[in-house]
Amino acid sequence: MSELLYSPLFGLVLSLLTFLFAKWIGSRLKLSVLNPLLLAIVFCIVILQLFGIPLEAYEEGGDMISVFLGPATAVLAYSIYRQFALLKKYFIPVLCGCLAGSITSMASAWLLSELFGLEEDLQASMIPKSVTTPIAIGISEQLGGIPSVTVAVVIVTGIMGSIVCPYLMKIFRIQNRIAAGIAIGTCSHAVGTTKAVEIGEVEGAMSGIAIGVSGILTVVLSLFLV
Amino acid sequence: MKLLKQLSIILGICLVGEGIAQILPISFPSSVISMFLLLVLLIAGILKMEHIKEVSEYLIQNMAFFFIPAGVAIVEQYELVQGKILILLLVSFLTLILTFLAAAYTVKGVIWLQERRKDK
Repeated sequence: MSELLYSPLFGLVLSLLTFLFAKWIGSRLKLSVLNPLLLAIVFCIVILQLFGIPLEAYEEGGDMISVFLGPATAVLAYSIYRQFALLKKYFIPVLCGCLAGSITSMASAWLLSELFGLEEDLQASMIPKSVTTPIAIGISEQLGGIPSVTVAVVIVTGIMGSIVCPYLMKIFRIQNRIAAGIAIGTCSHAVGTTKAVEIGEVEGAMSGIAIGVSGILTVVLSLFLV
Repeated sequence: MKLLKQLSIILGICLVGEGIAQILPISFPSSVISMFLLLVLLIAGILKMEHIKEVSEYLIQNMAFFFIPAGVAIVEQYELVQGKILILLLVSFLTLILTFLAAAYTVKGVIWLQERRKDK
């Protein structure tokens, strides 16, 4: 039995089934709090814990899925290219938006962590929380943070973003599709972008651009923090 | 055949992106390098949209799925941040809102300035 659990197919099947089930629930209840990614993660964790299945067993298949994170992010170039005329026209606003967002993210993460009395290594782990995982790990190490905590915070931020951003767009009346896309990508990187893609093609493409631009800006800004 | 061709183009570019990431002196994600690489190839006309269309659309539409294992692995960090989880969540949440608003209103504001200058 345990041999079967260590087959890569186990992780693949568990991820697929939980995601399909989460999507099905989402289409039934139409509540954006029930984000399919969040639900699928929770289902997987609950099943693993419930049956005492070690994480390593799941990761045999899980790692195969993670391999496609790179290509899935890279092909955002396809939607960016389709919106390229728009990007060219609004290049300056896009750049300014990413810069303002990146500065706000790093500054508020640091100030709020300080305010709530988090230890220094946790503060440093929080600073790069809005950028995509590989960049965040690098910055976290450089600032003396705990990389694994940073990974967790980055993913949590992304999931929060994909749930909260549609509400923020409504509450603060962000009707400009470029502004919305850039804001989603800047505050919640690739995971938030999955939601932006669902909202619309312009939003998705702008969010994709923001992952890259905000990532670069955050790396540059963090050089001033050491 | 068509899908396999598209997949090999995309994965090939990602492999090149990883190679570039290894050479770079700073840690920069290969996925973002590959994204820029792909964009440059499309703009230069070396690659046409139809060369990657179906696979790209498929990956983009199902992007969330690929993040599941990374999310599941968070359980391992539970003990490290035990007792701090609520604070970490609260800080993350507040930062998220502030960042969203700063980026959204800056884009809106600069577009407004840009268009006003054009009118003059």
